[in-house]
Amino acid sequence: MQRRWAQGSKLEHVAETVHGEEVEKHVPEYYEHSIWPALIAFATGIALTGLFMAFKGLIVPAGLLMMLSFAVVLIGFLYSDTRNWSSVVSKSFGRIPRDSIIGAFPVDINLTIQLIILTELLLFGGAFGMYFAIREQFTIWPPVGAPILDDFIPRIQTLILISSSVLIEWAVWQLKQGRITAFKAGLIGTTILGSLFPVLQFGFEWPHLILNGILTPATGFTGASFFLLTGIHGAHVVAGLMAYAFVIIRAFMGQYSAKNYGFVEATSTYWHFVHIIWLFLFALLWQGSRILG
Amino acid sequence: MKLGDFGIFVIFAAVYAAGTLGLPKISFMAYQIRIGEIPSAFVALFGMPAVLGLTLGQFIANLGLESKPIAFLSPVFSFVGLLAIYYTRKMSTLAGCIAYIVITGLWLSVMLPIVRPEVSTSQAAISAFAEQFITVIVGYLAYLVAARSLGKPGQTSGPQ
Repeated sequence: MQRRWAQGSKLEHVAETVHGEEVEKHVPEYYEHSIWPALIAFATGIALTGLFMAFKGLIVPAGLLMMLSFAVVLIGFLYSDTRNWSSVVSKSFGRIPRDSIIGAFPVDINLTIQLIILTELLLFGGAFGMYFAIREQFTIWPPVGAPILDDFIPRIQTLILISSSVLIEWAVWQLKQGRITAFKAGLIGTTILGSLFPVLQFGFEWPHLILNGILTPATGFTGASFFLLTGIHGAHVVAGLMAYAFVIIRAFMGQYSAKNYGFVEATSTYWHFVHIIWLFLFALLWQGSRILG
Repeated sequence: MKLGDFGIFVIFAAVYAAGTLGLPKISFMAYQIRIGEIPSAFVALFGMPAVLGLTLGQFIANLGLESKPIAFLSPVFSFVGLLAIYYTRKMSTLAGCIAYIVITGLWLSVMLPIVRPEVSTSQAAISAFAEQFITVIVGYLAYLVAARSLGKPGQTSGPQ
């Protein structure tokens, strides 16, 4: 079993020069001990704190300095790391053997997707927390003058997401049964269905609301929260579609099988998560605009 | 719940929430029939992910339908009812469905007059039990059809 495909250029050299059992037992991966994710996360926190301080006029120079520190970390990361990206991507695409017993990704994908879902929960939890905290300030809900939103397009979007969730679940099941053609068909169907979602949102729903003056980001709290929440969610849908495009390419390269489906399952889990967030948005922003509290 | 069960969980939540919020409302006496409750019997086939999914789906649906805080206790009673279906699935799914109807019907009989003061307790009880009976039994019949093709309870947790 070869694991060379996961490494960057430095360790690729080690893998190619050392032969025999030792290579098969373990080859350290290039990203295993990288300091950059933690450093960037820390710098992001510092930058956001600085942004808050600068906007609030608390200690403006210190705030700007904190934001600058984030830029320095980002430049350092890009300078030191981007040289390996093309190598890593090409190896990731090209060197996974067919019917490999190793996972579809060189790390414990369950832990990875659990961490991703956790961060997404924190993000959307914060956004919904903001929404409810401000909504509580209103004595009448919906606020006076807030429009009752037509839910025709969101209903179609909900149907699309349910269909795509069922389809990808079916596709993953087919893959686990070893039916690759059915899996590919389900995967493509899911992606096509999913693609309709941002088309409806950014091509029809948003222009309809903004151009007709029904709801804009400047329409008080309801407008601002609507476009913030649906915008963040829409971006996540697009990210999910990009992941599916990646999965499709690898599927047609023969890199998935009944024993090798970790990345597909992780992508479907992310998609399901995006779906469930949409249900909250549909209930709160469209249906919730009809009930009086 | 395993990571692979997450899809089942979400699909059941979506079916409940979207079935209740997105489909046309069907009124029955004092209560509105919730189409999303039809898949309750499928808990016997799909297990705990379906229990949790339907419970979350009901919570989400209440976000879009109800304004009184007491209505948000409904998912707790539904959860207990769904657990009854889940734990009786190997003996009798029908018995579990009847337990579900009793638990949720009793709760709705108490809650409806509070949420809608114009509805009397007797009227609420009759409509709640009738509505729950209709939706759950329709779901049970669909379950019987599905069980023939998917296998007996406890032998499968559905396509994963």
